Amino acid sequence: MLSRLDIRQRFEGRMWFFQIGMFVLLLILLLRMINLQWLQHEGLMLQAEKNRINVVPILPTRGTITDRFGEGLAVNHVSYRLSMIPERIENMDATIKQLSTMMQWTDRQIKRIQRRIKRSRKDRPALLMDKLTWAQVAPLSARLHRFPGLNIEAGTHRFYPYKELTSHLIGYLSLARSKDLKSGYLRNEYIGRSGLERSFETRLHGTLGSQQEEVDAHGRRIAVLQQSPPTIGGDLRLSLNVRVQQAAAKVMGDRTGAVVVLDVHTGEVLALLSMPGIDTNQFTLGLEQQQWQAWLNDDQRPLLNRTTQAAYPPASTWKLVSSFAGLRHASPLASRSTQCPGFVQLADRKLRCWKRRGHRKVNMRNAIVHSCDVYFYELGDQLGMQHLSDEARAWGFGEATGVPLPPESKGYLAPLMQRLHNGRKRHWYRGETMITAIGQGQTTVTPLQMARFAAAIANGGDILRPHLVAGKKPEIIRHVDIKPEHLKFIQEAMYAVANKPGGTAYYRLRNTPWKIAGKTGTAQVIAMSQNDEHEKDKTPKLDKHKDHAWFMGYAPYDKPKVAFAIIVEHGGHGGSAAGPIAKAIVEELAMQEAKQ
Amino acid sequence: MISVLLRMDKILIMCLFGLLSLSLFVLYAAVHAGDTAIFQKQAIFWFLGLIGFIGVCFVPLRIMGLLAWPVYLIALLSLALVPVIGDVHMGARRWLDLGVVAFQPSEMMKWALMLILAHWFASREPDTWPNFLIPLIISILPAGLIVIQPDLGTTLVLLFAAVAMLIASGFAWRWLLGAMAVSPLILWVLWNNMHGYQKQRVLTFLDPQSDPLGAGYHVIQSSIAIGSGGFWGKGYLEGTQGRLHFLPEQHTDFIFAILAEEGGLAAVSLLLVLYAILISRMLTIASCAHSRFGALLATGIASIFMLYVFINIAMVSGILPVVGVPLPFISYGGSALLTMLGALAIVMRVGIESKGNIPWQRPSSPLS
Repeated sequence: MLSRLDIRQRFEGRMWFFQIGMFVLLLILLLRMINLQWLQHEGLMLQAEKNRINVVPILPTRGTITDRFGEGLAVNHVSYRLSMIPERIENMDATIKQLSTMMQWTDRQIKRIQRRIKRSRKDRPALLMDKLTWAQVAPLSARLHRFPGLNIEAGTHRFYPYKELTSHLIGYLSLARSKDLKSGYLRNEYIGRSGLERSFETRLHGTLGSQQEEVDAHGRRIAVLQQSPPTIGGDLRLSLNVRVQQAAAKVMGDRTGAVVVLDVHTGEVLALLSMPGIDTNQFTLGLEQQQWQAWLNDDQRPLLNRTTQAAYPPASTWKLVSSFAGLRHASPLASRSTQCPGFVQLADRKLRCWKRRGHRKVNMRNAIVHSCDVYFYELGDQLGMQHLSDEARAWGFGEATGVPLPPESKGYLAPLMQRLHNGRKRHWYRGETMITAIGQGQTTVTPLQMARFAAAIANGGDILRPHLVAGKKPEIIRHVDIKPEHLKFIQEAMYAVANKPGGTAYYRLRNTPWKIAGKTGTAQVIAMSQNDEHEKDKTPKLDKHKDHAWFMGYAPYDKPKVAFAIIVEHGGHGGSAAGPIAKAIVEELAMQEAKQ
Repeated sequence: MISVLLRMDKILIMCLFGLLSLSLFVLYAAVHAGDTAIFQKQAIFWFLGLIGFIGVCFVPLRIMGLLAWPVYLIALLSLALVPVIGDVHMGARRWLDLGVVAFQPSEMMKWALMLILAHWFASREPDTWPNFLIPLIISILPAGLIVIQPDLGTTLVLLFAAVAMLIASGFAWRWLLGAMAVSPLILWVLWNNMHGYQKQRVLTFLDPQSDPLGAGYHVIQSSIAIGSGGFWGKGYLEGTQGRLHFLPEQHTDFIFAILAEEGGLAAVSLLLVLYAILISRMLTIASCAHSRFGALLATGIASIFMLYVFINIAMVSGILPVVGVPLPFISYGGSALLTMLGALAIVMRVGIESKGNIPWQRPSSPLS
């Protein structure tokens, strides 16, 4: 039995236990507070700030692209986006129904919108539709107060007024992909994917601005704390003359081909047309997968920029290169004439001239004007592959021109030594050298290289770097060392092609406001045995078996301003298919000059 | 009349007024961006509570002893009625609707249990089996009824307070250690009676980062609020975690985070010191009590205060699971404030009766 005193003593002992226990518990709390508020203070302070502050990027407006006269080629259109905060909508189905009658949505659009709402957070704005025009949002805008939770925002989207006409040159934009996010892009940003939009991405894009917003736990904006405005992207004024491009495209019609027009003195690109083109607006308006597939599978390959990415056999235009080589190396044939019986017999093969009956007596000038093959077979035979190849390189073939439109094809100049399948090397066969001299065989060039060649002939031998931005200083890559009298000789021959009866382009180009000097070319598409060619000539050809038509040259003859290269795929004869395009270009330029 | 007022403990009164002013300051900070009517309501509750406080100081301990059994039985009966006719609120059935006021029998039971245990041990001596088992049954019966509501926090408070009473009653340590050895069994029963969400709370408590936007969210956000306060705090009404609603229940269970964010370690220390003085003073009053009933009652009430303070702050700062226990005198809530003021008044009465006889009262017979 415990006495009352014992109980009292025990109680007092227990009171000490309680006092100490209380002290220990409060000490635990105090230590925890010191840990949080002292030791972890900085980290938790940062977290509190991160909680509270939402940095919202502000997208810069992309710079515009215009032609040399300020005509817009890539511009920004004001558009509207419709978004809603789902949790603020009382009756979702009824709201969607009202909106769809007001906005005239199709069933498919309604389905897509419902999917978007379903996938997004309920307390954040969900994008319903964007790139709406004012006409589309106007009826809703007037009644917006009846739809709390709905919001219309103004923004811009890219628009290309000339669509197909400039599609390869200007290029297109598409939304940033996962790998772009690493280089600092945001998911809802557009990036230049091809053409100038891609080459000048940094300049056109501008820099992001940002806005620090204070948000509550539901992500609602309470206040704007700080704002650093975006830097608007720089505008780009091109050297392009869009009217010239239009004139060329009009004559080209629905045919496939390419046109390049250069300023002979500065290397400025005045026209860079590849047909067919694509409507690049579809990329920003939301490209359908089907359309993309259709473009990819189209036989006419509309995605290919034929001016820089496609290389064609140069055909008879190459006779100019061979002529330069002949003059430079003073080939015996350069100062004499030869007989063209319509073919050259080479062992058991016949290399034919395009003119079956032959040109009879031809010298170099006549051979250029009438485009005699036999003369150049023999000239090539005398020069050899080395000289032909060196001459082509000197005039800028086989190398990229450096135009800011990657990727660019270099064309193809066959190496001097052929490597056989078994690894042994061999020299060219004589016949191969001879057909190389008339631009058939393995050689390929891009239209841009060809236009640059024409410009060099016109300006006295300066190989220029083609450029696209207005006001940029001309850049001479190299000067071709050619005697002025030789150059003059070739220029006169080119003049005769278009202006003297019997010239291959005389019929089409004799009446032009500016006198044109040029050279036609007709590139064989399918390799035909030289022996069978004339039999085949009689049979009607399929369109896709028709020859590619070339015309290159410059104008005006006496005071050159522009050089051009034109190719019409499967167009047939160079003079008749490509010549009229040159005429249209020159007429447009002459008219513009007359107006000023 | 005057003699009662004069005999009130000055230190308790000072602590009470310190907590009162702190309470109103912090509550205003918690609600100033939202519903300020809460602040006005709480001010009125304080006013009513203080009147009640003085009233309770006039109730003799003898009367309280007489009321012990009836109060306990009423509380037990109400608890038993809750599963039958109670109101469901936030997934748990805890409330009885009495027409005018909704009342929480579990809240009443805490104090009733202290009363009955104090009454029981006052006239009985420790270290005997009947005197050990009967109080155990008296405690476990209501604990069982509360845990099935389910209300984990109150159950724990109830059990720990019962243990505190056992310790205070003077049972030898071997009895207490024996009881502790059995407690894993009680924990096992508890775990099996827990609801899924409660188990989830305990589990996320063990690793709150595992589910930062789910159940661990509250603890992470309150830890951020407390930690970002630093030493001197962000300044009054300058806290962002509360104002921008990152804190859950910021004017009730999580109000401590507001105080810590805006007042920093300085204000937290002030609060902890106030609680330390308050509870220490209550224990001193218990030591000096002239009646064993009064001494045990004051100890029990002090234990409950201590448990509330510890569990609440520990849960807000992430060292205990979130169980939903208010911070005494600071959290918003009328009935909690009123009962706590009443409980404090009982301790005050114990102190008053220890300071010599009061004219109309029969001399108490202290055990010593």
